[in-house]
Amino acid sequence: MALSDRQSHIRNFSIIAHIDHGKSTLADRLLEATQTVSKRDMEEQILDNMDLEKERGITIKARAVRLQYHAPDGEDYVLNLIDTPGHVDFNYEVSRSLEACEGALLVVDATQGIEAQTLANAYLAVDSGLEILPVINKIDLPSADIDGTRREIEDVIGIPAMDCPAVSAKVGLNIPDVLAAVVRDIPAPEGDENAPLKALIFDSYYDSYLGVVVYIRVVDGVVRAGDRIRLMSNGREFDVVDVGVMDAFGLSKCGELRAGEVGYITASIKSVGDTRVGDTVTLADNTTAEPLPGFKAVQPMVYAGIYPADGSRYGDLRDALEKLQLNDAALSFEPETSIALGFGYRCGFLGLLHMEIIEERLEREFNLDLITTAPSVIYEITKRDGEMVRIDNPTNYPDPAEIETAAEPIVRASIITPTDYVGGLMDLCQDRRGEFLDMKYLDTNRVELHYRLPLNEIIYDFFDALKSRSRGYASLDYELEGYSDSKLVKLDFLLNGEQVDALSFIVHEEKAYGRARKIAERLKDNIPRQLFEVPIQAAIGSKIIARETVKAMRKDVLAKCYGGDITRKKKLLEKQKEGKKKMRQLGSVQVSPEAFMAVLKLEDDD
Amino acid sequence: MQKLGLYLHIPFCVRKCHYCDFYSAPSGKGARAAYVRALCRHLAVAAGEVQDFSVDTVYFGGGTPTLLTGAELHELLDAVRTHYAMEPDAEITVECNPVTAAEGLMKELRTAGFNRLSIGLQSVHDSELQLLGRPHDYAAFLETYKAARRAGFANVSVDLMFGIPGQTVQSFSHTVDTLLALSPEHISAYGLRIEEGTPFYRMQPTLTLPDEDAEAEMAELVAQRLTAAGYEHYEISNYARPGKRSRHNMRYWLGADYLGFGPGAHSYLHGTRFETAPDRGAYLAAVEQGAFTTLRQNASVIAGKEKMDEYVMLRMRLFEGLDLQDFTSRFGITFREEYGDVTPLIKGGFLTCTNGRLAFTEGGMRVSNAILSEWLDFGK
Repeated sequence: MALSDRQSHIRNFSIIAHIDHGKSTLADRLLEATQTVSKRDMEEQILDNMDLEKERGITIKARAVRLQYHAPDGEDYVLNLIDTPGHVDFNYEVSRSLEACEGALLVVDATQGIEAQTLANAYLAVDSGLEILPVINKIDLPSADIDGTRREIEDVIGIPAMDCPAVSAKVGLNIPDVLAAVVRDIPAPEGDENAPLKALIFDSYYDSYLGVVVYIRVVDGVVRAGDRIRLMSNGREFDVVDVGVMDAFGLSKCGELRAGEVGYITASIKSVGDTRVGDTVTLADNTTAEPLPGFKAVQPMVYAGIYPADGSRYGDLRDALEKLQLNDAALSFEPETSIALGFGYRCGFLGLLHMEIIEERLEREFNLDLITTAPSVIYEITKRDGEMVRIDNPTNYPDPAEIETAAEPIVRASIITPTDYVGGLMDLCQDRRGEFLDMKYLDTNRVELHYRLPLNEIIYDFFDALKSRSRGYASLDYELEGYSDSKLVKLDFLLNGEQVDALSFIVHEEKAYGRARKIAERLKDNIPRQLFEVPIQAAIGSKIIARETVKAMRKDVLAKCYGGDITRKKKLLEKQKEGKKKMRQLGSVQVSPEAFMAVLKLEDDD
Repeated sequence: MQKLGLYLHIPFCVRKCHYCDFYSAPSGKGARAAYVRALCRHLAVAAGEVQDFSVDTVYFGGGTPTLLTGAELHELLDAVRTHYAMEPDAEITVECNPVTAAEGLMKELRTAGFNRLSIGLQSVHDSELQLLGRPHDYAAFLETYKAARRAGFANVSVDLMFGIPGQTVQSFSHTVDTLLALSPEHISAYGLRIEEGTPFYRMQPTLTLPDEDAEAEMAELVAQRLTAAGYEHYEISNYARPGKRSRHNMRYWLGADYLGFGPGAHSYLHGTRFETAPDRGAYLAAVEQGAFTTLRQNASVIAGKEKMDEYVMLRMRLFEGLDLQDFTSRFGITFREEYGDVTPLIKGGFLTCTNGRLAFTEGGMRVSNAILSEWLDFGK
């Protein structure tokens, strides 16, 4: 079917890259070069709106922007740039964003070459049937190896790269080449605008005035303001209030979106939970026969208890989580109570980065001090009576006598590293119960390692260890493979003979002793001395496997009293009393919030 | 007649010691003379308010009182005697730093009527004195101490400090023994506390302070040695030969009245605590203008729960502790009703309760803050 003239002047593409390879900076330059944003209005990394994104140099939420491109041949094109998150935690979102495109720019840093996420994202793009257009970036740097990078792209990914654009997004070199290549090499969108509406949701966010703003790519048909739409995964129907496109400064109404176009709709939707990424939008009275393939509701992989450091702010924590959830359907939470920490929430996250981001946003945007328990994965426990339970909180771990088998999630990890560090990283994977799969030389200097690893070994401190053992050069990507039976035990900690539920975690039998010793030591260093000696014990069931002692306090006294200044003494005692209020009273022992946190941050110190 | 203590603050120092956050500054001769005139005037005016009191302790503290001349100190003491009813056996203390050529000064002080001398030694090791920023060495102390004895001071107190950067249990032990050989009547042994705003506070990251265990050992050591040598450990940091407790400092712990003079001085009179702003210029100006009421700052009437908590905080600094019957009759409630059951603390060896008195043990005293901060509530 011949494309309409309108469709033949549309290009939908995304930019994929490893972290720090310059994706957001390139996006900025494209906005400038098409005069979507004037240089004067340009602020660094305009697509990364959140402070957190700018600071960390990562994209957390997908975003889209429409560029008007006046090509040198005199034709005018609409280029829809869909910016995708660049982290393994958000792989599903990335895959849906890619589905909304016909092509992808694969940005590769000319000084670093291909990294784990470059590959992972490139494969995702290939799987989505996208035309991949390599762009070599950072050619202004003295250590840039343009030809080497071209060869590497051809060898490792197997796509032609000899003529691909080589640019410096930072200094704005050769940016027009990229635009020309987008128009030349990326196919225009197909799709029949006379067919029933079929549109893909690739992102959504909550706006307090508009309700949920849904980002869509129209595959077939047309959507207009006033249409009654249906979301095919849940059957919910809404009346479209507005339809429009995203320019660099926000939403711009346009009345309708046709096949091949990218834009937004609003329909007085109250919760992003209704507008799941990957779902298909159609019309209520003219429904498409088949939804778009590949929808799945994303499931959290990592769980942790989050508690307010100040117990009286429990309500504030709930409000904050509710607000964040409006924009983040992947965040789940439900109330839980801990004897040690009081009232809090068990929260589910896509991964560790997602967890860190949520914690940071809670602390930063809602001004909360938090205590977070050790992250846990979901274990599948089959009991002797045949019942299967999924455990996301160590407190609920069944009595060992009731357990028939215990299974833990396993991931397939890909690590790309300079060859110098291979030995150390293989030791690390070995140490984390990794099963070696294969190793492949990318070139003479770099290797890609594949391992099967238990997810609970990765969520712990694996990434930091990986970075420290490779001086920051190694990169990691992983995907969930499935569950595998494992010898798991629940490790408990007792202070002064009383179990502290918030410190319990589930660990592989072989690791239990080492971890128990380390954490007992940490507790000893972080629990303030008290009037009485505090024994610390680590236990599996009733068996004590490690012990330490917090010695009794020996000195805590106000000595001098200058010239009868009694007021100062009172203030000092008051300050001390205030400090104690922040402590958690666990039986007879006072524990500071810092002690809980310190226990979670074990370094790779072997 | 009610008894009163007077405190005269002399806010001058050759230089600030690294740990000191008390109000003082270097000065010229003229400034010192002007300050003495202002103090005399203040003493004269304030006397009207305490006519129904007789003064039984006078304390010249600092700063460094002995930066004033013997004649100036004499003049100040004369002003006290002129305007206040004095008890014949009043304890009259002057603090001094070790100085060279002390002979003449000591004689002048005795002649003026001072009968108790408190010398800031801190350590017998010159390296430790240097670290503290003290403006003297051990030899200067010895000279001063001997000159004081020759001049007839029969009641001498010496200050020691432990927890000094670089100090070891061994070096402190040597300091204690060396001082004991001189047999002063009174010894104060303070643990160093790093206060905000002092040079030590800024230097803190670079200081190697003895750890909690070493500091506790030093505190234990000094208590053992001094009590073995016949001193009474009568207050957290203070030791005295029988009958030689600091009567002036006891006022603080017993909740008795005292009136302070000079910038940064504290007072407790008629149940009200107040202080003079720590600003010598402002002090001189206020006295000059006769604006004596503006000198009193942060006045606070101590009553009710605060008075009760203060009573406990101060009495419990004394090894004789507090009289439970006295507590009940003062506050109309028993100690146990107010602060809960202390049996676990007695069993734990932190408190004793004998003859109706509740008191800290030696070990309990060293961790008394942890216990007091549980009991008391000075939050407003």
